[in-house]
Amino acid sequence: MTLAPAVLLPLPVAIPLVFCAALLATAHLLPGRAPDVLALLAALAVAVLSAVIAVHAADKPLVYWFGGWEPHDGVHLGIGFSVDAASGWIAAFIGLLYALTFVFAWGFFDRTHGHFHILMLLFLAAMVGFCFTRDMFNLFVWFEVMSVAAFALTAYHLAESSLSGAINFTVVNSLAGFLMLGGIGLIYAQTGTLDFDSIAAAVARGGRDPVVAGAFCLVAAALMIKGAIVPFQFWLADAHAVAPSPVSVIFSGSMVSLGLFGLAKVSAVVFGGSDQVQGALPMLLIGLGSVTALLGGWMALLQRHLKRMLAFSTISHAGIMLTGLGALSIGGTGGMLVYVVGHGLVKGALFMIAGILLATQASIDEIALRGLGRGIWPAGIAMALAALLLCGLPVGALDQGTRLVQGALSAQGHGVALAATAIGAALTGAAVLRAAGRIFLGLGPDPGDEAGAPSEDEREKANRPLWLMLAPCCVLLAVDMALPAGPIAHALPRAVSAFMHRPEGGPLAEGPGWLPWASVAAALAGAGYGLFRNRLPAFVVQPVRATQSVPTRALEILHSGLIGDYAAWLAVGVAVIAAVLALV
Amino acid sequence: MSVLPYAVAAWLFGVGLYGIATSRNFIHLVGCLGVCQSATYVLLLGLGYRWGSIAPIFYDHPPGTPAVDPVMQALVLTDIVVGATLTALLLVLTVQAYKRGGSLDPEKLRPMRAGGKSGQRQDAGHTSGRVSEGGRKAS
Repeated sequence: MTLAPAVLLPLPVAIPLVFCAALLATAHLLPGRAPDVLALLAALAVAVLSAVIAVHAADKPLVYWFGGWEPHDGVHLGIGFSVDAASGWIAAFIGLLYALTFVFAWGFFDRTHGHFHILMLLFLAAMVGFCFTRDMFNLFVWFEVMSVAAFALTAYHLAESSLSGAINFTVVNSLAGFLMLGGIGLIYAQTGTLDFDSIAAAVARGGRDPVVAGAFCLVAAALMIKGAIVPFQFWLADAHAVAPSPVSVIFSGSMVSLGLFGLAKVSAVVFGGSDQVQGALPMLLIGLGSVTALLGGWMALLQRHLKRMLAFSTISHAGIMLTGLGALSIGGTGGMLVYVVGHGLVKGALFMIAGILLATQASIDEIALRGLGRGIWPAGIAMALAALLLCGLPVGALDQGTRLVQGALSAQGHGVALAATAIGAALTGAAVLRAAGRIFLGLGPDPGDEAGAPSEDEREKANRPLWLMLAPCCVLLAVDMALPAGPIAHALPRAVSAFMHRPEGGPLAEGPGWLPWASVAAALAGAGYGLFRNRLPAFVVQPVRATQSVPTRALEILHSGLIGDYAAWLAVGVAVIAAVLALV
Repeated sequence: MSVLPYAVAAWLFGVGLYGIATSRNFIHLVGCLGVCQSATYVLLLGLGYRWGSIAPIFYDHPPGTPAVDPVMQALVLTDIVVGATLTALLLVLTVQAYKRGGSLDPEKLRPMRAGGKSGQRQDAGHTSGRVSEGGRKAS
């Protein structure tokens, strides 16, 4: 190959942007399905190019300086992309997820002049740019582009509930953007540069510095808001539940985990030399991650609105990812990166099934849908399989990520966090399995008057054939199960050491083999309890009901749907991060 | 740089956040978000300021004249663009929400009517029990 592979780096960002601009200019002239085809092609191109880049970056990260503004004498004036193998594969995964989402959304939006596709392509470009950049301010720009595209996509239907969900989402994530910009300003004031590597060098030289700690506090809070970590998680359930199904696939599958991906990169690379930050991270990330995993799982179990249930499940899994990150080891971060891919594939498939139910059965309420899924039983099989994968069925990428995260946690003796990852996964699996059993098998008590859903009537367009919606969902699940564990385990230590700018360690430890099975068993038991509670003897049901009602009610009061409460919790979260940093 | 810009920025952010937390009107809330954002303007401009220097435009100054940091000014410009986008988008959402919900009060426009809906899942057991008991009595 005569062309240096580094020249490819801007293309996965530039291609969707060019398609986006071209569609905006010509969409009203194009025939009906042309935007679908073009968007699909752009997403596939991103996936293929990112994979090629990732393969070329296996030995050492590729670097590209825009406009040829390379650093001279250690002074970085230009803006660069720097792609290691892990970032490249994450971008390839995002491209694949978008391509399948475009297939799923085929014909979903009529009479839109391609606006949906334009926003989605902008969203895609921002995500890839976020993965590739090596400049703090550039990171902020992609963060904001991602946010703005997401806000507009959430409110796409302009229905009442989607509007208020979108407003909550917009306000909270705008505050995240402001915090991040403030943090970037502080770190620039202290180090005089915006380039990841030169900031890292300056931070390592500087020693203990309150300004650096403050900068990290603000940037970490912003990325945790994106990653929906307790106490910043409130916006996610509102936004994911009301966004159109194809958009929810992208939100849960990649946007939330990208926040944590950014946190992994920033904390390992940019602030890797600050002892204060590195000392505070394990306690902060493992503590918040464990709470998030448990709270998200518990809330998922309480929902009857299927998309809201999946949204809380995403919160729980984000918590599990954060605990992996908190181990601060090659194994923990590597496990988290594999987990991002596996979780994105499985959760994307589940949101597609929710979309199929909305389109074919015109409801998203678990109780109202009881037994109505029998006619579309293939979707039921996919949903049950996805639920089992979600709670830890030992097959595929999600399971590999789980075992690596659990291995890193048990290697460092974080027993509580280890239990939290297993319980969180079991709770969300139980919620989804219960819904699958009720919807597709008609299990559980006859709802009677309860069948009427309390939320407003929702439905999505029903003009698409079932196989067209089911195919991308099955492909997602198949990819998750078919990702080869051997080669990933072989390539991972090297890729993660390049990602974290750290020397390579030995082979990665895996968690106890029985733990995923325990999660699966607990999930089956939880789902069975939810469905057959009325047939169980009273001495089993009464104690459970008595112990769960108080915390349940407290959690419901917390998730008030009021933006004012969310802002107050945001302040609390920032204060918690600052306090942990100050105590170390 | 003195402590003053930090303090002003922190105060502005805190005041804006307080406004968002207590707001009962979405337009007021968008304004408060703008106050929060001005905190970032003050912080960035304060961080880049150098006493006794010129604006970083060398058209009528010899190169080498001390100037304030142009990078920070570029950041603030980008920030202003972001702020305009967000305000416009939020106001559009507010107008649409008012058209459909007839109110600007966040309390009356909760997503998915959260207050009424959650918890019914747990109560399902109780209620269906009551219903079937009632049915039995009637029969």
